[in-house]
Amino acid sequence: MTTLDTTTAITSTPKLREPVGRRRIIGILTVILGLFILLAFGVGSAAGAHSQFTFTPVNTSSGAPWHLAPLTLLTRWSNIVLGLITILVGVETWVRRPAGALVRFGVGGVLFFIALLLWSCRQPGPAPVSSLNFTSVLIGSLSIAMVLIYGSLSGVLCERAGVVNIAIEGQFIGGALAGAMIDSVTNSFWLAALVGILVGALIGWLLALLAVRYVADQIIIGVVIVTLMGSISSYLNIQVLAPYPNLNVGNNASNVAIPLISKIPIVGPALFNETMFFYAAIVLVALISFGLFRTRWGLRVRSVGEHPKAAESVGISVARVRYSTVILGGAVAGLGGVAFIAVQGQFQPGITSGYGYIALAAMIFGKWKPSGAVVASLLFGVSAYLVDALQNENVPIPTEFMTMFPYLVTIAVVAGLIGRVRPPASDGVPYKRD
Amino acid sequence: MRVELKGITKRFGSFTANHQIDLVVEPGQIHCLLGENGAGKSTLMNVLFGLLHAEEGEILVNGEPVRFANSGEAVRHGIGMVHQHFMLVPVFTAAENVVLGFEPTKSFNRLDHKTASAKILELSKKFGLDVDPDAVVENLPIGLQQRVEILKALSHDAELLILDEPTAVLTPQEIDALMEIMRSLARDGKSILFITHKLKEVRAVADVITVIRQGRIIDSVAPTETENQLAALMVGREVNLIVHKESTELGDVVLELKDVVVRDDRGLAVVNGVSLDVHAGEIVALAGVQGNGQTELAEAISGLRHVESGTISLRGHDITNHTPRQILDAGLGHVPEDRQRDGLVLSMSLADNLVLNTPRRAPFARRGTRNLGAVDDNATVLVERFDIRTTGIDANAGSLSGGNQQKVIVARELSRPLTCFMASQPTRGLDVGSIEYVHRQIVNQRNEGLGIFIISSELDEVVALGDRIAVMYAGQITGIVDPSTNREDIGLLMAGSTVGTHD
Repeated sequence: MTTLDTTTAITSTPKLREPVGRRRIIGILTVILGLFILLAFGVGSAAGAHSQFTFTPVNTSSGAPWHLAPLTLLTRWSNIVLGLITILVGVETWVRRPAGALVRFGVGGVLFFIALLLWSCRQPGPAPVSSLNFTSVLIGSLSIAMVLIYGSLSGVLCERAGVVNIAIEGQFIGGALAGAMIDSVTNSFWLAALVGILVGALIGWLLALLAVRYVADQIIIGVVIVTLMGSISSYLNIQVLAPYPNLNVGNNASNVAIPLISKIPIVGPALFNETMFFYAAIVLVALISFGLFRTRWGLRVRSVGEHPKAAESVGISVARVRYSTVILGGAVAGLGGVAFIAVQGQFQPGITSGYGYIALAAMIFGKWKPSGAVVASLLFGVSAYLVDALQNENVPIPTEFMTMFPYLVTIAVVAGLIGRVRPPASDGVPYKRD
Repeated sequence: MRVELKGITKRFGSFTANHQIDLVVEPGQIHCLLGENGAGKSTLMNVLFGLLHAEEGEILVNGEPVRFANSGEAVRHGIGMVHQHFMLVPVFTAAENVVLGFEPTKSFNRLDHKTASAKILELSKKFGLDVDPDAVVENLPIGLQQRVEILKALSHDAELLILDEPTAVLTPQEIDALMEIMRSLARDGKSILFITHKLKEVRAVADVITVIRQGRIIDSVAPTETENQLAALMVGREVNLIVHKESTELGDVVLELKDVVVRDDRGLAVVNGVSLDVHAGEIVALAGVQGNGQTELAEAISGLRHVESGTISLRGHDITNHTPRQILDAGLGHVPEDRQRDGLVLSMSLADNLVLNTPRRAPFARRGTRNLGAVDDNATVLVERFDIRTTGIDANAGSLSGGNQQKVIVARELSRPLTCFMASQPTRGLDVGSIEYVHRQIVNQRNEGLGIFIISSELDEVVALGDRIAVMYAGQITGIVDPSTNREDIGLLMAGSTVGTHD
């Protein structure tokens, strides 16, 4: 006969080991990336070719207080070194399978971009005739990343509460259109931002109404809202903006330099001499991150997105939380639309060119976390900018490949190739009290 | 706290789930509500907890009439509920789950984790419910998750605790621990409403037993009543709780598992080297607490899940990683765990559901065209033979009761020659009448020489049916024992220990 020991019977839990196979895969992918750098960008460039980077800031009227000499490198050997470093990082990841495998892959990604830049601006012969402005690349990439950050933050908010916001693209369009008109009339981006927030919130409210109150399929209504906003903006563009060009003058928001730190070489002009929209995005990331994970509000939002019934059983109104969070998410995306105008100037139909959807991809890539969304937005921002930049520089590279990059990464992530991604358990699941 | 329900009536459309229910729970009392699945127990508790609103009747708390617009108000009146499906957010910590909805905060709306943890530790100590406040709930075993759920109710100063089928997912040892907790809470003056359909538990722990049947209170009795008397009250007629089995000759091995490894959707090896064989003419019952790999094992055998390594064979014929079609053709009959999701197409007719596994074969189809006459004839015969209660063979499978849905699946699977019959949770959620029927069918098939593999988390069922009982824990077989083995020992095997088995 055995004696009963209930405590051990209860506390002994099946120990299941988490698979580390994915870390191997990440290691192998990093090695492949390194080989690509080595062969395509390194060995693939002519022996005598040089690449030159310049660092002159282009967005400060007064000029920089520092001067960095242009950096000239032998393209082939620089890229061979970058490729070898990436391969080493990959091999280390493959062998040791460390917890920070994804970070190592990210390092490989950054080196890949640098190698690509070196390769794309290479010149034959020892004396370079043209160069690539590194600071411009940073500034351009950041401006796209900023818009993606607004979008992915909106996605994070809504999906954490359990509502899929496919309508981000529509909220971008609404915010951009309203922002362009209000700024043209009042010449104030503050007012434009305010109205953009209201328009985004209104679209968010529509989404919440259909998703929460009428329990409609969230993906379908999201797509419908985007289509609706696209049509409305085309109509208003033809009927209102075209005949009255003073409603769409195309101002850019002015830059606000932060004293001292905006003078830091290379990154200063890119990070600390930006529009108020850029700074607002950074503040929002911190606020939403803090709100979601440190406050009572965030705990309730997340509980509604994970297990709405549990939330309801302790007296939290699932409908109220979802309504308010989706409206807030819409407001953030609406502000993102105005930020878009602040960078791009004039409103045109189709101006948002699918960034609302890329923002959703960034949200997934960032594992439904504000900080992750920032990293993903930066990555996607850089690749989106390079597509443009390389086209302008007339470099013989199939830009279609670069255009595909964010989507390929997203597919890899969603397919679970790189790390396990787990959405909120009730993401996209309508809640009905029974 | 004294809670009184007076004349509660709850209707869903034309269906009356609760009819004129009167019930009193005294302070410090463990009051058991006993009834079959679908008798109206959960409806009544949801009314008491403010999740549903009764058409008639009133609720009195300490003599004062109350009305709960939502469960938050019930909680504020000192009523706590431990739901059958835990109301816990799996990715939150124990502390976060306990304080959800009543969170202590610091400035800027920040969560006050320190106060939350302290509160839990204090409650844990007071009631002897050890839980680590910082443990993430999804990493806790079910028994501990339930403790978190109980702590949650206690932290809202619950004076009446409703426990809705709390033992369904626990090992026998965990059930004993839970009963000890219930007794200690009652000693502390808390009232407990314990809802169940399991007779043994009721008799072990209840002060008063109220039996509910078809939405009506049948009787209130003392726990000294025998199991047979309680069963008769619950079902409304005499019930034969013992399945009669004749001794049979063991035949060849019909199902053989060798070192089978299967991964779940997260990539974890939840079946980790299972070896087992089933002979013709015997019932092998696989016991174990839910979630120890049984579901994945059944899926692997029926070809619905990839087998990572090891072999599965049917009468010596290797079927490892064959398609479900090939495996069905090799002679496996399969009653899936979730009959509504995997066993039937609810929106299709009874007749079509009865040929789901052979739709393309003669006589049901010829040269790609269905022979609807044969399909209907088949249905008419099976409805008669398996006593399926339906308005007609054209009725949607979804319109049948749970018991009759299960009969449809059993009828379909047994209506063709089989090598081995596998049933997962064959009587889950069924009323006693249907359980008796399904058990009888299974035993009949065994007596006729079929090899049968039953997977069940109900220990009673495993012991009643099995000629041999295999116990599964954390993806492995921890022991294969005789059904006469003492339940405590089987319980230990279910909890992963191999102590105390002398086979």
